[in-house]
Amino acid sequence: MKESNILILGVGNYLMGDEGLGVHVARALKDESLPEGVDVLDGGTAGFQLMEYLEKYQIVIMIDATLDKNPVGTIRLIEPKFSQDFPKAMSTHEIGLKDLVESLALLGKLPKIYLYVMTVQDIANLHIGLSPLVESRAIHLKRDILQLAEELCTTAGSPV
Amino acid sequence: MSQRIVVDPITRIEGHLRIEAEIKGGKIEEAYSSGTMVRLIEEILRGRDPRDAWAFVGRVCGVCTSVHSTASVRAVEDALGIVIPPNAEMVRNLMFCAQNIQDHVVHFYHLHALDWVDVVSALKADPKRTSEIAQSISNWPKSSPGYFSDLQKRLTKFVESGQLGIFANGYWGHPAYKLPPEVNLIGVAHYLEALEWQKEIVKVHTIFGGKNPHPNYLVGGMACSIGLDDTSGINAERLSYVLTVLKQAKEFVEQVYVPDLLAVAPYYLDWGAIGGGLGNYLVYGDLSTTSYREPKNFKFPAGAILNKDLSKIHEVDLRSDNEVQEFISHSWYEYAGGDGVGLHPWKGETKLNYTGPKPPFEHLNIDEKYSFLKTPRWKGHAMEVGPLARVLVGYASGRPDYKEVVDSVLKKLNIPATALFSTLGRTAARGLEALLVAQWSLEFYEQLITNIKNGDTRMAATEKFQPDTWPKQAMGVGHTEAPRGALAHWIVIEDQKIANYQLVVPSTWNASPRDKEGKSSAYEAALKDTPIADPNQPVEILRTIHSFDPCLACAVHLYDEDGKHISKVKVL
Repeated sequence: MKESNILILGVGNYLMGDEGLGVHVARALKDESLPEGVDVLDGGTAGFQLMEYLEKYQIVIMIDATLDKNPVGTIRLIEPKFSQDFPKAMSTHEIGLKDLVESLALLGKLPKIYLYVMTVQDIANLHIGLSPLVESRAIHLKRDILQLAEELCTTAGSPV
Repeated sequence: MSQRIVVDPITRIEGHLRIEAEIKGGKIEEAYSSGTMVRLIEEILRGRDPRDAWAFVGRVCGVCTSVHSTASVRAVEDALGIVIPPNAEMVRNLMFCAQNIQDHVVHFYHLHALDWVDVVSALKADPKRTSEIAQSISNWPKSSPGYFSDLQKRLTKFVESGQLGIFANGYWGHPAYKLPPEVNLIGVAHYLEALEWQKEIVKVHTIFGGKNPHPNYLVGGMACSIGLDDTSGINAERLSYVLTVLKQAKEFVEQVYVPDLLAVAPYYLDWGAIGGGLGNYLVYGDLSTTSYREPKNFKFPAGAILNKDLSKIHEVDLRSDNEVQEFISHSWYEYAGGDGVGLHPWKGETKLNYTGPKPPFEHLNIDEKYSFLKTPRWKGHAMEVGPLARVLVGYASGRPDYKEVVDSVLKKLNIPATALFSTLGRTAARGLEALLVAQWSLEFYEQLITNIKNGDTRMAATEKFQPDTWPKQAMGVGHTEAPRGALAHWIVIEDQKIANYQLVVPSTWNASPRDKEGKSSAYEAALKDTPIADPNQPVEILRTIHSFDPCLACAVHLYDEDGKHISKVKVL
């Protein structure tokens, strides 16, 4: 039984520069006034521990950094149905999160997932904080997420 | 003629590990283990407030976040002479127990079982026969023919849809898989049940740590407050929920995990003579029934075993300059004093110096440096750490609870104690440890409740929290036992800031490259002489490596340029 509506879930490792994008954006969103029924979670580097949250919410808006061939700062919205729909280079949370998504699919408990990814570059330098370009794009990403959350809320009640 | 195979990365682990193995006459002649990501957490910590270190180290990994935070606050408390209240000791123990059991179950079912359980074969199982077998090994209620038949239908649909997903990376149909289809189906069923179950046990961390993932720790105690009638904080309702999930955990380990181990093991008894490796075992110890400062009361006694000699437990001193040392003769680092020296972690240096080939490369140059892991040694010895080490030290110390579980398994499987020094022994030890920890967790819970009822609600010692009470210079070490082995953090504090911080993590002990004398560490030693039926499908390598429960995320970090995660096998 799904109790709540929407979870915004930032994942990533904030010890690794831009890899921590999801965590930084989630923390920033916590300071915003969010629509009723929208929660935010800093998922950090967790994998299977996130199961409780993925089961509990009808909709999960996930945020992560990705390494791909797009220009740095490119924001994409993916609606993955299977783990193979996730970008390959979602960095360190390799085992937990993807396995969890597969298993939930097999159990028939997978929430509707919207995955926001931003192409990053600077994850080889071990430091805390985003690079300037990614940081400026993160403001757009935050705005996009808020907008999606609001849209989803206005259609709440309809089957998801 | 020998051939060299490369498995890179090893799948179903956290972090990146590359194994190269020379095969001759159907057996591994030599193996090389390389951590292919780099970690520089030490550099991130330098200059920061020591009281914040736990939060940073808790982020190095998604699996061991709480054990790193524990080691960190203990290192700072040790340096500053802070004694934490009894409630905080018990809360840390309970969080330890929850993580240990969760991690062992998840490792067994989700990361290791697929080396032994053939998922595709489960599609051929007879649900009625499966139910009979399940009921013969355990009283676990989910065991009717209908239950297994439903599951099989779901699994068939899943596989037919082409979405093998979690099960995609197996060597299905490999002759090394020996289980009948029915036992395979039980394995898959419990794979899914374990996943459902584990989401409850992690709530112990949410309750005591305030949040999960990445629960809160505190130098001087724990960050939660106790009041049985409070509406917030740790009240009677939350405590009773903790008890419920601890009991559920014990039940799951007793009725599912351990019976499954015992049902699978008889088909793989040959693995009781494979994968032994070093025969040297190291435990720092943890889970005191009184205080972390009283090692004699550890449920996991500290000690070292050399050359499989269970008649002698050697004492271990983490402060001694010449016991724990890290070497870099085969690691991509440099020391101011040159490559030949070993450094105790208080004097540890973390300066990268990558001299390897530009990736992608065909083979590691094993005569030179070949890993981002340093090579730790204890009094010069290569040591294995982990559940097997802990179970052996407890068993060799003559502890009755260890004796009981170990002897009963040896008897049930009709194998000698020497079979413990193996891949099978390592896998069994993890299950037995989960069983012990599940039992102990209820004792710690009782102790916490008794203490609170006696009127002690203190959760933190704050007298030495303010930096102006600290000495100008202080050094400390904090240790614990992570699910995959002995873990310690060493800290040097100067002028209220971190001057040096070194983590020696379990997978560094196990997965490190050889030392300057050419002595292998645990993985490399354990792979030696392992039979490989088909070099193109080296499932045998995975069995032994997974039996250590590798977790390289904290041992090393990062780098995966194009996100390719395919195992490649090269034949020379």
